[in-house]
Amino acid sequence: MVILIDYSFLLIRGLGITLWISWVALLLAALIGALIGLGRTSKRWSIRFLTGVYAEFFRSIPVLVTLFFVYYGLTLLTGINLSTFVAATIALALEGSAMMSEVVRGGLQSIAKGQREAALSTGMKAWQVELFIVWPQAIRVMIPPAVGVYVSTLKASSLASVIGYVELTKTGLLIRESVRGHSGSLLILVVIATIYVIINFAISRLGAMLEERNNFVN
Amino acid sequence: MSTEPGLSVIQTDPILRVDSVTKSFGKKIIFNNISFNVQAGQVVVIVGPSGTGKSTFLRCVNGLEDIQSGRIVFEGDIVNAHSKNIVSLRKRIGMIFQNFNLYPHLTALENVTLAPMKVLGESRKLADERAMDMFRKVRLEHRASAYPSQLSGGEQQRVAIARALAMNPSLMMFDEPTSALDPETVGDVLAIMEELARDGRTMLVVTHEMGFADHVGDRMIFMDGGTIIEDGPPSELLKNPKEKRTQQFVNSVLRPN
Ligand SMILES: Nc1ncnc2c1ncn2[C@@H]1O[C@H](COP(=O)(O)OP(=O)(O)OP(=O)(O)O)[C@@H](O)[C@H]1O
Ligand SMILES: [Mg+2]
Repeated sequence: MVILIDYSFLLIRGLGITLWISWVALLLAALIGALIGLGRTSKRWSIRFLTGVYAEFFRSIPVLVTLFFVYYGLTLLTGINLSTFVAATIALALEGSAMMSEVVRGGLQSIAKGQREAALSTGMKAWQVELFIVWPQAIRVMIPPAVGVYVSTLKASSLASVIGYVELTKTGLLIRESVRGHSGSLLILVVIATIYVIINFAISRLGAMLEERNNFVN
Repeated sequence: MSTEPGLSVIQTDPILRVDSVTKSFGKKIIFNNISFNVQAGQVVVIVGPSGTGKSTFLRCVNGLEDIQSGRIVFEGDIVNAHSKNIVSLRKRIGMIFQNFNLYPHLTALENVTLAPMKVLGESRKLADERAMDMFRKVRLEHRASAYPSQLSGGEQQRVAIARALAMNPSLMMFDEPTSALDPETVGDVLAIMEELARDGRTMLVVTHEMGFADHVGDRMIFMDGGTIIEDGPPSELLKNPKEKRTQQFVNSVLRPN
């Protein structure tokens, strides 16, 4: 136990890195996911098809496989050496964007057709209708599942330890090795798991608060 | 064609001209070769059995639906659902829906001021002032800050009327504005519509309220099976329908069962 306290600085650092990489990946995922999700509600058949393929593709592949592909495959193909951070972020963002596109599509489709028609019939342009009427309502619908995507991205970021990126899980594994033989060896895994639980619970609460604040249907 | 012969009305260009319009969804023809004109200031009531295409017709007039043949001309402009200028045309046509379609994330006031600000470029101050005039018109000045979910159906429909009025349209279209309302609030909405008619607003009203049609309407159009069966003064259609189908419809609405 005493030994673990010695390592607490490393644990906090690991947690910070995990939050950072999953947050960057989530932002990228949200951005790309919004575009893909928009494409999936397009009137054009070809756009719906292409964006649908993208979403299905990256949702079906295990993140670990995507990660290897990005880390080793891209390097082989392009000769550019990606850092473990960049590779992990890209892999997480690809998977996250596929999930986010589903969230965005669902949110947009949940808005009744009459909302668009009412707005159009007052003379608003199509983009104004989207900006002022559709998205503000759709985002509220998107928040809970988007929080789910964040939680799963955060958990998936532990896979980056496999290519040697030292985030929370990898930090735990390294500590575990250096205390081998001591009683802390198992305890460290419990500590890591507990940190994940606390963080994800906090994120869910934050999401619920955000949802509450955007709640206009009393 | 639009006014009865014998009446010495000064004939001006109609505000709305519908020439041989046909609408179909795929192979399914909704209405076929429909023609009629609406003069400025007229209140034209459209009646007919369910599924005849009354709603679809209104949606064609402001380009929410396209037409397959014929021509709709509004204030001299051809209505083309696919052209860019449909936006400028819609500013001048107000539309009121059966289920209100208020924006749930905005207050009643914001529902009314949005289009004047974003479409007409009014300042918030001016838009707010004018919106309050509209709220007085529909007798809801005390509910301006409420959200739609906090309003009754009748109140929501009156906000929707205020929202349309705020654009000062030269034609107002109503698609069964009272069909989704509790019986006790129907009268409030009809009273406001009657007032608009008295103000000289041009109105195209789809409704099953025969009392309103008789009392407020200048003309009544009976549609059935995708065509206009009869077009004339409401009292004529209600009391002396020329066509058998009009007669049957009127009877079924006035004396259900
Ligand atoms: N987007 C669409 N695609 C295919 N068919 C449609 C579409 N919209 C309407 N229809 C069909 O067109 C017909 C006319 O519908 P519409 O809603 O205009 O009738 P209505 O006269 O307004 O009826 P109601 O009194 O029930 O409101 C109906 O048979 C309907 O199923
Ligand atoms: Mg209808």
